[in-house]
Parts: sequence; C-alpha cells; structure tokens
Amino acid sequence: MVKITALLVLKCIPEGSDPVILVNASDLSSFGFFQRPSVKEFIIFVGRTVAKRTPPGQRQSVQNDEYKVHSYNQNGLCVLGFMDDHYPVRSAFSLLNKVMDEYQKNFGDSWKTVQTDNAQQWPYLSEALTKFQDPAEADKLLKIQRELDETKIILHKTIDSVLERGEKLDSLVEKSSDLSAASQMFYKQAKKTNQCCTIL
Amino acid sequence: MAAVATSSFRDRTSEFVSLSNTLRRIGGNTLPSPQSQPSNDPSSVTPDRSEFNKNASRIGLRIHQTSQKIDRLSNLTKRSSIFDDRSKENEELSALIKNDITSLNMAISDLQTLQNMEIVERNYSGDRVVHLTAVCDDLKSRLMNVTKQFQDVLTARTKNIKAHENRKQLFSTAISREHPLKKPPNSVTEPPPWSTSSDTSGGNLQSGSSGNGVPAGNQLRRRMATDMNPSSQFEVSMLQQVVPRQESISQGRAAALQNVESTISELGGIFTHLATMVAEQGELAIRIDDDMEESLSNVEGARSALLKYFNKMSSNRWLMIKMFLILILFLAVFIFFVL
Repeated sequence: MVKITALLVLKCIPEGSDPVILVNASDLSSFGFFQRPSVKEFIIFVGRTVAKRTPPGQRQSVQNDEYKVHSYNQNGLCVLGFMDDHYPVRSAFSLLNKVMDEYQKNFGDSWKTVQTDNAQQWPYLSEALTKFQDPAEADKLLKIQRELDETKIILHKTIDSVLERGEKLDSLVEKSSDLSAASQMFYKQAKKTNQCCTIL
Repeated sequence: MAAVATSSFRDRTSEFVSLSNTLRRIGGNTLPSPQSQPSNDPSSVTPDRSEFNKNASRIGLRIHQTSQKIDRLSNLTKRSSIFDDRSKENEELSALIKNDITSLNMAISDLQTLQNMEIVERNYSGDRVVHLTAVCDDLKSRLMNVTKQFQDVLTARTKNIKAHENRKQLFSTAISREHPLKKPPNSVTEPPPWSTSSDTSGGNLQSGSSGNGVPAGNQLRRRMATDMNPSSQFEVSMLQQVVPRQESISQGRAAALQNVESTISELGGIFTHLATMVAEQGELAIRIDDDMEESLSNVEGARSALLKYFNKMSSNRWLMIKMFLILILFLAVFIFFVL
C-alpha cells in the first residue's frame, strides 16, 4: 500500500552549508525495532543531502531504492517527504505545499533564525503524517475521482434495480389485465343467473 | 542531353542539317563541332543557348516534381485526423517543398541573369530574344502556380489544425480554466526549455523564406512539435495530445481533470438513462391502475347482482313453500286416484 515514511521541514537558506532540520515526523512502524535508530539516522542524512541539492523555488523527486524522496524548496524553507513508489507524485507535492503553508502560518519567519537541529515538536506534522497516508486526502482531485467512481457504481446498481422493477411491473400489468377479464366474466355470470330464475 | 523539357518542341533537325550544309558551303570554319551533333533541341546552334535550354528543361522538371510533392502533401492533409500522427510527415514534406521552391526561385533568377548576359553579349536576333524571354516567363509563371498551390495546401492544413484545436477545446475547456488557478510556480523546470524553443522559433520566423504568414505559422508549430515539450498553453494546440506523455505535475493534473470531466459527463448520461426508464415504468403503473379500476367496477356490479338474487331468493321462500305444498297435495291426490 501507499505509505509515507517521514516528513521533514528543513531550513536551507545559507546555500552550500548543511540544512538545519526544523521539524521531523516519521512513522517507522514498518521497520523492526532494532533497525529504527539507524533508519532514523538514514532519513536525517538523506534529507539533508536532498535539501542541500534542491535549488530554491524548485521541486525535486529522488529515487532511493524503494523510496522516493520528494522535496520542495521555497525561499530557503524546504519540505521533504519520504514516500514509497506507489504514492502518486502529484498528491505528494500538493501535500508538501500544504505542509509548507501551514508551517508558515504557524511559525511565520521565526525559522530563519534557527541555527541548530532543534527538532521542535509540531503536532500538526505528525497528524498530517497519519492523515495523509491515504493519498486521496492530500489530493482533492484524487478524492473527487474516487467519489465519482463510487457514485458511478451506485448508479449502475440503481439502474439494475430499476430494471428489476420494470420486470415486476410487467408481471403486475399482466396479472391485473387477467383479473379484470375474470371479473368481467364473473359479472356476466351473476347477471345471467339472476335473469334466469325469476320465475321460481 | 536529358531533355525532358516540359515545353513542347518541334523537331527541327532537318532545318538544322540544311543550315549546317549552307554554312559549310559558305565557309563556316568558325562554327564549332557540336553543330554536327544530332540533337532534339530546337535551334540549338550555340552551346550557350543549349546550356540555357538545359537549365530551363531541368527547372521545368523540378517544378513538375515539386507540384507532385504538393499533391502528396494535400492528400496527407486530408487524410490526417486528430488521432493520426501524420503531422510530422506533413511538416517534413512541407519543409522539403519549401526548400525546393526556394532553390527553384534562385535557379530561375540565375537563368534570367544568364539570359540577360547572353543577350547583351551575343547581340541575338529579335526572335531569339523573344524565345529566351518566353521560356523564362513560362517557367516563372509555372513556379508561381506551384507556390500558389502550396499556399492553398498550407491554408487547408491550418484550417484542419484549427478544427482539431476546437474539438480538443470542447473536451478540455476545464483544463485551460483550471490552469490559471491551479498552476503553481512549479514550472521553473520548464521555462528554460521553453525559452530556448521560443528563441529558436523567433529566429525561424524571421528567417522565413516566402514571407507568407501561413508557412511561418506552420514552421512555428513544427518547431514546437520537434522540441517535444508541450506545456499547458500548447497542449491544446498539439494534435498528438491524446495520451499524456510527460510526468510533469501540470500534465498529470490536466489528465486527471480530463478524467474527472469525462466521468461527470458519463454520470450525466446515466442519469438521463435512468430518467427515461423510470418514465416508461410510470406508464406501466398507469396501465395497471386502469385495469384494477375496471376489475373493481366489474366485481362490484357482480356483487350487487348476486345480492339482488339472494334477496329475491330469500323473499320468495314463503311463496315457494306454499307452492310446494300445493304440488305435494296434487301429487297425493293423483296417487290416491291411481291406487
């Protein structure tokens, strides 16, 4: 399944020097317990490298074994996402956009002064990590497409049931016409018996 | 001398032979040897003139070939549709034709200068001058016809392209509307290829040969196609935009939007379908209703008739009892009589 492994926000204004990690949120549940620290280090290292190599105002995607790292650098603030190959690229970048906007709303420009990896806790990021495991959440287009497909399926089912209803109505029509014929015969018989035995 | 001259020629070999004889008799040592060579060209007395004719015949042949190519191009144009990626051939062919036309132009102007030079040099008689000018004019007019044909074909082609554009726009208006809203400044990776291509296209436009608007426009499109870099604006004007080819974000988004739009239209169709079916079934329901009412009235009438009968039967009983008693009395009397 599609999965996000980590989301990082880094500061890379002094270009050329190592970027500074501002917030880090990762979901390492898929790794064994003993691998987690090394994976964490690996994420930090790769994140720094990619952020360093992303020029400002650009987006990049780097393939790394089975992971893709998507990075978006906007005026020195860099947002990174570690996702697996199946995660659609578009939703990845829209997610990065969202995180970027949220961060700027929350922290304004205070990140520019940070010099060390303080790794401040930002609950939004960890929430975002869990919420956006499903790419449809991040990308409205995907959501719309999915809902439309569901609607289409429902409509198909509706049409099938309407067809069944049509069949039942057909049988009802037949039965009612038979009934009306039978009642007519009944009426005539009744009149006949009435007329016949007036003498007695 | 491969004289496949498109101009008709008269076989004046006999005249030529007689002329050479008379000149030899007069003492024509000045005449060079090619005179004695048999040839099919009319009045080919001097090698210069024959060279002129050679060039003229060659030019005529090339004009003919160019017109054939133009016919092929027009056939291709008619046959191309949105989903038929023939525009590359079209464009190559039109480039080829353009080159031919320009070279022919140059050749004809050379020929004309040659002719003028000869006239000045050799002081030809009036007939020869007239002949030379006639040949030149003929070739020029033929070339003009060919260029006109070419122009017509190109206009037809641009009309085709515009028609395809319009049809594409019918299906992708949402894309062009969305893009101003949704397109973020992510096209940073794309502007560099774009700027180079726009530069080359600008340069190309300036160096346009025939100076027509139509061929230049086609050149521009050709440049875009060969650059293989469709972005949002040129997406719609490209003929080969059936399947999204690149992985860029805006492309992906445009494709997704197209999908969404087609799904929505499908849904609309399904709804109308549903509506018609339900209307039909409503009619069926009305029929059932009528039948039921009819049977209801029948049954009610029968019920009343039976009720009347029942009443009659129940009211007549006393009379019937009396009648039966009388009958039994009569029977008894008869039995007594027999006994």
